[in-house]
Amino acid sequence: MCNACGNPSAPGHWTEAGADTPGDRLRARFHRADLLDKVLRPYGLTAHDGGMVPGIQMGTLSGNQTIVPDLASLWAEAERMLGHPIDPLDPAFLNDD
Amino acid sequence: MTTDFADGRMRLTVLGGYLGSGKTTWLRHQLHVGSFGPVHVVINEAAETAVDDALLGAASGLTLLAGGCCCCTGKADLIRALRDLCDQRSRISSDAPRLQRIVLETSGLADPGAIVAAIQGDPVLVNHIVIDETVVVVDALHGLAQLQTEPLGRRQIGAADRLILSKCDAVAPATLTLLRATLRNLNPTAPQSAAVLGEAIALPDLPAEAEAPALAPLTDEDTRGAIFPTRLIIDPDIDWSAFVLWLSALLHARGNDLVRIKGVLRTPAGRLLLQTVRKVVQSPEILPNRSGPGEDNTIVFLGRGFRPEHLQKSLRRFLGKAI
Repeated sequence: MCNACGNPSAPGHWTEAGADTPGDRLRARFHRADLLDKVLRPYGLTAHDGGMVPGIQMGTLSGNQTIVPDLASLWAEAERMLGHPIDPLDPAFLNDD
Repeated sequence: MTTDFADGRMRLTVLGGYLGSGKTTWLRHQLHVGSFGPVHVVINEAAETAVDDALLGAASGLTLLAGGCCCCTGKADLIRALRDLCDQRSRISSDAPRLQRIVLETSGLADPGAIVAAIQGDPVLVNHIVIDETVVVVDALHGLAQLQTEPLGRRQIGAADRLILSKCDAVAPATLTLLRATLRNLNPTAPQSAAVLGEAIALPDLPAEAEAPALAPLTDEDTRGAIFPTRLIIDPDIDWSAFVLWLSALLHARGNDLVRIKGVLRTPAGRLLLQTVRKVVQSPEILPNRSGPGEDNTIVFLGRGFRPEHLQKSLRRFLGKAI
């Protein structure tokens, strides 16, 4: 753990399993940020991972920015920013119309 | 003692089960035959006076936490005891033989899920300890009655990776079948085995048509309906990043309704064993490759508050625009 910033606070979050080499890990981070951004945009949120700074940079379309260490904290932060959690079982995803 | 695991962390087995279900008896026999190898045992008793420690002389080390159940009032004591163990171990070079395994025998009043959550939520312990398995001992004689009335008993079954039925010699085969069908309903993924005084005995296959008696909903439990299992078949081509995106969002939003998720997923890195207890996810383990398709890419969700067919739809639609 880095004494200055405390990163990473825990070894490998479960969502990061499966990428073993540093190259794979970096590729997985880029890919994950890409997917995330597409999921978050409809909610007025953005996600970005430049590969340099640890964690995922998320923000609102009005420019509010924060860095979260992993996906679990990201959903918690999204809930804070939106005032409600992003629920995959939301009827909006399930209704056939 | 054996050499370090590849990640340098210790393995912890949580041993749970209702009051008097036979946890200590089972553990005592396992220590006697050495099925865990050299192991440090941590015992928690809710009562102030401890008796279990006297029975477990075969362990290579023993810590006793009496007077407070470690899933609630004694949680701080448990974390401190485990941190002390990690401390002592860290002073020994990783080349030298040192402690590799811990067994935590919980009190009969503990919810193993809460203990797993406490250990994984501790910033120090998570770097030193990996939770290997949650073993829950079920009293074949009283189990059915306990499950009818005790919400805690049901939570313990739900949190188990493996169920051990004790006192099997004391019940009629028909009663045992009823109990096993009930356990299968509450936790279909946990393999069941039987023991008499800790010694494993063979258990006949449970007939698929065995009916479980209906369990009355308990007032202490949620009013949102019974917990039911749902199987989700995952497309073998699914992208792991996309899948965890959906699953982590689902756990954040619905974690309290999803009591347990378990399954094996094929990824480019190998077969990943995925398991969660409420919002806590154990770090996925890579399993050895096995020939044949087997049950891979099938994930079981135990939960309530959603319709079974919605899971598949949600997985597809949530990522609809992304993949």
